[in-house]
Amino acid sequence: MNIDKLFKVALERGLSDVQVFLSNSNELSIEVFEGELDKYEISDTSSLVVRGVYNGKMGSYVTEIMDDSLIDEIVEHLIANAKVIDSLDDAIIYEGDKNYVTVEGLYNEELANTEVSKKIEMAKNLDKLFHEGSPLVSIAQTMYQESSKTVMIQNTKGLKLFNKVNSAYFGGDVIVKDDKDQRTNFDIIIANEMSDFEYEKLAKEIVEDAVKQLGATPVPSGEYEIVFGPIALATLLSAFQNIFSADAVHKGFSLLKGKLNEEVGSDKVTLVDDPFLKKSSSSRSFDDEGVATKYKELISKGVLKTYLHNLVTAKKDGVESTGNGFGTAVSAINLVMLPGESTKQELIDSVKNGIFIKEVQGAHAGANPVSGDFSLQASGFVVKDGIIGAPVALITVAGNIISMLKDVVMVSNELKMTYYGITCPSIKVKSMSVSGK
Amino acid sequence: MLLKKELIESILDTGLATGADFSEVFIEEKNAESIQMIGGRVEKVTGTKVFGVGVRLALGNQSVYGYTNNQNPEVLLKLAKDLSASFSNDTLTKRVSLSELEVGKKHQVKINPKEVSLETKVSMMKKANQAAKEYDEVIQQVSVRLTDNVQEVLIANSEGRFVTENRVRTILYVQAIAGKDGIMQTGMESLGSGKGYEYYNEDVDVVETAKSAARIAKKMLFAEECPSGNYPVIINNKFGGVIFHEACGHSLEATSVAKNASVFCGKLNTQVATPIVTAIDDGTIENGWGSANFDDEGYPQQRRVLIEKGILKSYMVDKLNSRRMDHQPTGSSRRESYKFAPTSRMSNTFIDNGDSTFDEIIEATEYGLYAAKLGGGSVNPGNGDFNFTVMEGYIVRDGKICEPVRGASLVGNGAEILHKIDMVGNNLDRGRGMCGSVSGSIPADVGQPTLRVSSITVGGKKGAK
Repeated sequence: MNIDKLFKVALERGLSDVQVFLSNSNELSIEVFEGELDKYEISDTSSLVVRGVYNGKMGSYVTEIMDDSLIDEIVEHLIANAKVIDSLDDAIIYEGDKNYVTVEGLYNEELANTEVSKKIEMAKNLDKLFHEGSPLVSIAQTMYQESSKTVMIQNTKGLKLFNKVNSAYFGGDVIVKDDKDQRTNFDIIIANEMSDFEYEKLAKEIVEDAVKQLGATPVPSGEYEIVFGPIALATLLSAFQNIFSADAVHKGFSLLKGKLNEEVGSDKVTLVDDPFLKKSSSSRSFDDEGVATKYKELISKGVLKTYLHNLVTAKKDGVESTGNGFGTAVSAINLVMLPGESTKQELIDSVKNGIFIKEVQGAHAGANPVSGDFSLQASGFVVKDGIIGAPVALITVAGNIISMLKDVVMVSNELKMTYYGITCPSIKVKSMSVSGK
Repeated sequence: MLLKKELIESILDTGLATGADFSEVFIEEKNAESIQMIGGRVEKVTGTKVFGVGVRLALGNQSVYGYTNNQNPEVLLKLAKDLSASFSNDTLTKRVSLSELEVGKKHQVKINPKEVSLETKVSMMKKANQAAKEYDEVIQQVSVRLTDNVQEVLIANSEGRFVTENRVRTILYVQAIAGKDGIMQTGMESLGSGKGYEYYNEDVDVVETAKSAARIAKKMLFAEECPSGNYPVIINNKFGGVIFHEACGHSLEATSVAKNASVFCGKLNTQVATPIVTAIDDGTIENGWGSANFDDEGYPQQRRVLIEKGILKSYMVDKLNSRRMDHQPTGSSRRESYKFAPTSRMSNTFIDNGDSTFDEIIEATEYGLYAAKLGGGSVNPGNGDFNFTVMEGYIVRDGKICEPVRGASLVGNGAEILHKIDMVGNNLDRGRGMCGSVSGSIPADVGQPTLRVSSITVGGKKGAK
């Protein structure tokens, strides 16, 4: 689409400022099921988000058809949409920052240029390793997913920015069976260099963990010391990440309202948003509004330091945007809980009567971002006097996110980047309510 | 028509050139409008125009898929050619000849959302906002979201299938937040249909729906935490059907059955539930939230009896998975958009009426949880373990509904729970949701009469009961 023409028509029709956000995504997705290539998917898609200010209100329109013949229709929509908006929020199109951090290595040619056949072979090898890993493996599936994204912002205030990033994840899941029970396990590696996919180790861990879970049963209901593994912790945090949005705070949808500079966790807890994190496909030097992104501590040693802002929420609070305006929401880019000083083994060693929770499920429904309460299906292992014991499943672990963060007594010194785009260590929580048999 | 018939035939031919035994083209144009209102003010209005083409090829059990939103014929033919490179057989020349275009005629709408002004929509939302806000002084915030979709699809395949239909859907969500002394609780209600705006004018009451969201939020604000443990749970009708959807429905989809990854594999014609349980997935219900003329492989949607009086009768099967299974396709193939290859999914799924009345079920329960309204949930189809949340719950004691409780979640196993349904009511009703799975997020209807599960693990923050 001819952007200059779009701007010209819009300004002629009475819009005061207009911005386009053009994104293009190329994806490759491979799945191997029982040794055979089961899914091979390629795509090339683009979308154009147009935002325009009319009488001080922001209209928006998204289109996947980029034809010039749509320009009039788009402008009509912007005006009609803006006309019914009676929000008190400002409508801001940004002129841009002086400096933007250049993040090296977000786009890696080597990943993009590696032959597809090599990637398929890798997925088949992982499948083979799964089956060799244990005779109990009944079904295995492996997957490789790669994406390359470019985004471009241009507006009538003269801003023009461009970002290109690629990333892939590789991993799989197994179903293991014995005569009494059946369990599944899934894990992935996220990276943008082929050499990062150390899948022999991954295969071993996935199979071993699956087998160890066979025969899992609920534990008796009660209070237990809890160690959350990085995946379980990331799942839980993903359900609550919206509470950091200043927009959610202003509109009464966040329990962090009024909690700035207050304790919301123990001094072991530091949570940051790192827009420059290597190997993450979310990493960016500017947000969707064109604001330069920044590294910031959301929770520093337990104290809530800042909310996440876009231009509108920042103006309301009299602060600068944190560069977290994405799409129609204010959201984190790469949440990272910083590592502590203990080893994961030391966390386990310290447990007298507890549970190591490897995974939680149902976080999209079982966690309430307004109250902070959650009650989630969980699975893992009993830990008794520092020894990992019997597998546990079909329990729920319940609590409140703030109470839980305040009860964090140990944090492990290793990090894992998870499927949720959240990077976490393992943590130990003093005590939580578990419901089982 | 979204693309010329000759071009579609060329794409199908190109896909078959290296030995694939099946090729398919899915073309979609969708126009959506979404309005978000918070605290009675319109915060955002977004129009969206989606357009894309998906090409799928298969040889035996192996399939490949590609998609683009480029309309250029050269790009589309190149996509088919790139995909065909996955099959290395000798070059063949096959000519696909599409039959005459079949147009889906069921599920017509009276008032197309496109013809309703933004002002009219906003005015309806304001009524909902006001009703929820004025319900009680503890209601602190109300958000209302209205979304309409008009999706036009065209599906063609190398077997000559050539169909098109227009699918209209509209949904309204009302969320109310009640707060007091620093504690906040939410209540949510939704209305949605495969009808046009006649649905809001004739079938439902937006104001009552909004009040109900506020009522739940208030109830839960003053509720105690739910006790944890194992005890009987009475699950109310309508959205309560999400229990069957999550706990069993997903495990009956070919997506997991064909790969031998479901607990229901090999269980056809065996007893999988108590004899009072009959479960149906019906994609033909007139203007249903999960209905369509055709599935997303272009075959007619069907009514599928999954479980009849406790006996497993059918899985939900798409065309390609049927190749792996000894089971006919059931018209169950669905996808969110051209960005997803289709696979077997539920449509409008419900447990059918039984004999008990609502009162009889409550009266027959000495102690239990009455889950008046459920939230969402999820399941691991590999082992059938599920979880879902209770949005509005009450303790039942000595056959009477007593104090409200909050924060409850239900966890269990799909295969086991079907054997524990010991009472089924006669008040079948349906609710609606969005169901997320491998082929994306699709509108899915759930339903059931009020029913009782003899024992289920209830998670809550209050200690054991």
